[in-house]
Amino acid sequence: MPAETILSVQGLTKRYEGLLALAGIDFDVARGEIFGVIGPNGAGKTTLFSCLVGAVAPTSGTILFRGDRIDRLPNHAVVARGLVRTHQIVRPFRDMTVRQNVSIGAHFGSGRRRKEDAGQRVGQILEKTGLIGKAEALAGTLTIGELKRLEIARALATEPEILCLDEVMGGLNPSEIMDAMKLIVSIRDSGVTVLMIEHHVHAVVGVSDRILVLNFGQKISEGIPSAVISHPEVISAYLGEEAV
Amino acid sequence: MRPASRWVRVAAIEAAALVFLLAAPRFLERGTLNDIWNVAFAVILASAWNLLGGFAGQVSIGYSAFIGIGAYTTALLALKGVNPYATLPLAALFAATFSLVVGLPTFRLRGPYFTIATIGVSEAVRVVAAGVAFTGGSSGLRMPAGSFSFTRNYASMVILAVAVVALAAWVKESPFGYALAAIRQDIDAAEALGVNSTKYKLLVHALSAAIVAVAGSLFAINFQYISPGSVFDFRLSLSIVLMPIVGGLGTIAGPVLGALLFGYLQIKLLSSPGLRDSYLFIYGTMLIAVMLFEPKGLLGLFHRLRRGLARSLSRPVPDAG
Repeated sequence: MPAETILSVQGLTKRYEGLLALAGIDFDVARGEIFGVIGPNGAGKTTLFSCLVGAVAPTSGTILFRGDRIDRLPNHAVVARGLVRTHQIVRPFRDMTVRQNVSIGAHFGSGRRRKEDAGQRVGQILEKTGLIGKAEALAGTLTIGELKRLEIARALATEPEILCLDEVMGGLNPSEIMDAMKLIVSIRDSGVTVLMIEHHVHAVVGVSDRILVLNFGQKISEGIPSAVISHPEVISAYLGEEAV
Repeated sequence: MRPASRWVRVAAIEAAALVFLLAAPRFLERGTLNDIWNVAFAVILASAWNLLGGFAGQVSIGYSAFIGIGAYTTALLALKGVNPYATLPLAALFAATFSLVVGLPTFRLRGPYFTIATIGVSEAVRVVAAGVAFTGGSSGLRMPAGSFSFTRNYASMVILAVAVVALAAWVKESPFGYALAAIRQDIDAAEALGVNSTKYKLLVHALSAAIVAVAGSLFAINFQYISPGSVFDFRLSLSIVLMPIVGGLGTIAGPVLGALLFGYLQIKLLSSPGLRDSYLFIYGTMLIAVMLFEPKGLLGLFHRLRRGLARSLSRPVPDAG
């Protein structure tokens, strides 16, 4: 990879009592990539994101973000450095308006010391994510598609260098998935490195530069999408042994 | 409502309240002014508690500790010859510092640890204040005889009450207030967006404690005598929790409404010997009624009635027959 490595994960392990959720994962992400993470249910994908942002403390291993170790930092400190995630199960602040939800990211994320008016930045992000018409609506009143976009909008408002998207296409209809793919590419084109967990294999293959495949907490493959999805171990993980 | 018109409305109500309350000594009797003093005291306690309990969702049942810290700071320094009003900043500082004693070990934990700790710590403070010599023990402290002016104390109390309500209105619409609301609704999601939840909980606890301590100082100056039984009373801590809940938790007007109701009840109950000891029963009944029928409190009830009225007015009159 000629591009600069923005994120380097080495030997990342997370053990819950009796369960090895992540068993020594290694991978690097280059600046400006869309990096897909796939794997069957329970493979450890969401645990991986939780460890990256500091929501969950890894049992062992190191995470280097722009060369600095972040694996012992609390979640808010990781966000302040420019690495943020969305939640697979959306977690809006339901009693607050869409605009207020997004402004929390703008006021407390890594862009909080920027001179530009936070209100203006929030407006631009609402525009970009198609939520401007719902800006004054309470988050509790949104549809699932809108809530997924609100998750992205709040995370974008923190002005991340790396955005980790956890199944933002789950529950969306085909046309919404097309829009989401366009949005993700445009986020990358604006200079943000994107990590994405996705169940829609076609969507993730369509937009990713490289893909990491996890199964039972192990890395079973990593590389360009066409090579990864034809890898025998990946096929067996998804379809069972007989299909190989 | 548009934010701008909301500000105008809050500012207008606040300004009118301040003008009326400051002019009141010219045309109201001392007894009525005493009642207003009591309600203003309750408004300060309820609104300050609401910053932490209502906005950030951190329920403390130990706020009498901060009233006591304020009252004792003022009384002890006044006995050393310091002007009582000059002790207010120090009372605020002591209470804010003491708030960290409860907050630092418990705010990092999830669950009811903070609430439980507040009960324990405030009881411990009461027992210490009653047991050590320099506080005068359980017999309390009498402020030095001097030129006490009720008018001055009254003015300080109502100005503080109006200022605390204004502060709450400002906090609610500020980034600080958004962070508190986020912490209340989903602390992990707040952290995931960069909110340092421990820091903001400690900050709002300290702010709220400082305000309550200043009210405690004014209480000591007004009554000229304090004892652990009067300022560290657990029932006082309970009333402070109940006022915002009955009025409308996490709102601006709710704690004020709750304080008006409780202030009024307190005055009525204490003046009728037959009902004197029934107030806990009445408070408990109100709390149950709020939890069962209107979790948003009196303010929620008011909004519901207004909506119902608007609906019935806009509905076309049905044809008879």
